[in-house]
Amino acid sequence: MKKKTSTSILGMAFFGPALVLLTVFLFLPMLLTLVFSFTDYFALNPDLTHFTGLGNYIKIFKDELFLKAFINTVKFVLIIVPLQGLGALGLALLINKVTYCKKYFKVAFFIPVVMSLAVVSTLWMQIYSPEGILNTMLGQIGISPQPFIYGANQALPSIAIMSAWQGMGYQMIIFLGGLQAINPGLYEAAEMDHASGWKKFKDITLPELKPLCVFVFITITIGAFRMIVQPMVMTGGGPSHSTYTIVYDIYETGTVNWEIGLASTMAIVFVIFVVILTIIQTFLTRDKEEKNVNKKAKRR
Amino acid sequence: MLTKKQKGANWVLVTVMIIMSLFFLFPVVWMIANSFKPDAAITADMNSMRAFIPPALDGNFFENYISIITNTSFLRYMGNTLLYAAILIVLGIVVNGLAGYALAKINFPFRERWLLVIMMLMIVPTETIITINFLFIAKMGLLNTVIGYILPMIVNPFNIFLFRQVFISLPDDVYEAAQLDFCNPVKYFFTMVLPMSKTVVATVSVFTFLGVWNDYLWPSLVFTSSNLLTAQIGLNSITANETTTMGQTLALITMVTIPVIIIYSLFSKQIVEGVVSTGSKEG
Repeated sequence: MKKKTSTSILGMAFFGPALVLLTVFLFLPMLLTLVFSFTDYFALNPDLTHFTGLGNYIKIFKDELFLKAFINTVKFVLIIVPLQGLGALGLALLINKVTYCKKYFKVAFFIPVVMSLAVVSTLWMQIYSPEGILNTMLGQIGISPQPFIYGANQALPSIAIMSAWQGMGYQMIIFLGGLQAINPGLYEAAEMDHASGWKKFKDITLPELKPLCVFVFITITIGAFRMIVQPMVMTGGGPSHSTYTIVYDIYETGTVNWEIGLASTMAIVFVIFVVILTIIQTFLTRDKEEKNVNKKAKRR
Repeated sequence: MLTKKQKGANWVLVTVMIIMSLFFLFPVVWMIANSFKPDAAITADMNSMRAFIPPALDGNFFENYISIITNTSFLRYMGNTLLYAAILIVLGIVVNGLAGYALAKINFPFRERWLLVIMMLMIVPTETIITINFLFIAKMGLLNTVIGYILPMIVNPFNIFLFRQVFISLPDDVYEAAQLDFCNPVKYFFTMVLPMSKTVVATVSVFTFLGVWNDYLWPSLVFTSSNLLTAQIGLNSITANETTTMGQTLALITMVTIPVIIIYSLFSKQIVEGVVSTGSKEG
């Protein structure tokens, strides 16, 4: 009995420091975000705070700027997810096939991952500048200068292309790991049947990689939802708010305008999306594990 | 063995991919090559292949780098960031490691529940709570202080979970043997558990360093005073200055990237394993 209390105390002593910090900087902020999302809390005049019920939730979905930020974020996701995901898969398949310079390719396509978002954004501001290297290169193949991040129509796609370029190498490494984990016996068996390269890809590689694809595509989606640094550094959300995102709106509303109530509502809406995506991901990947178990059971 | 035909196809593929990789890397090559040139040369070279070739090595080769180092506080910002990273690595390993050990090996009330909570917290993106944390730090009067920057960053549910996964497979009989020698649990943790788990300690340290070095949002909120800025925020404040030339900007971003490249080349094995394992664990 005495020993049990002493291990309890020991456990809490070990877990304690983390628990205190988790409480102050994670639980409490989450709880307060939820509570504030139902109020008009204004940090510069906290005494005037009222409970507003679902008022903020109705307000932000009528707020043109938030809706614009929301649509921009969705657009960004729709551009970057196929670009980065398929790009990473394509690179991994090619590198897996190549027998020479494998190491060079792995390093080369991984280099942008190493660079920080602030660095990449600063660099691409120069690349995308009206008289910059990209416009010069395009000029040599007869394409007229493009505005890129300085044009309202091109700014968001330009940032998406840059971000896909930066992040692709990371998922490429994940896919390469997945490809190497595929049982070579499967391919050998297929070769006995004289299966074509495409058939092998369609019937072996793709199904084997499917759970990894789900994981990668959802990770990219969540990451894209959180996008803020690129427009902060490159465009300030412009031109005409075309690169303004949800997190950018949370940031400006909360820490620049001090409208904590409204910012909290946006944060809750944002986190709901992220949690839904995570649940979908867990559900889809768990499904696969169960199937595998069933398969094994059948074999027995 | 590859047949002759397959070998030929492979060389074609390799050549195509080398060209692809050069196109892929043109921004990086351009950045490094032009970080050694004055702005006039950068503009003049833009139209030719010289845009991707560094200038001849002469007395002015490092001009942009020297002017950044002597005219701005950039080295100081780099030093600041290294210091913050070092503090956060040590505190992070102690706090998250102890918590992970408790969750793995010590039987205390609600242990399984806490583990579940930690796993749920891993989902919450920091952007959700950054406003409230900023408010907290501001109300505590800790804006523009190192403590205000570091305090919310120490605890990391993901690292707690990582430590727990590794510690749970440690043998129990070592602990029992240590207890016979009257080794107290704290001493046991630091002299036995951590040294036995070098890989996870290295992984957490590397990822903490990269996180601190590349972080942008949180330091941009906490630090406004120029003495305490991190490299990323300092970079932004220097490039925002009208007098900073294009060449200097390129030199600056090259310098910010150098420490990260060093870390990646030293720990590439751990990093690649870490990246691949996030995929295989979840997938």
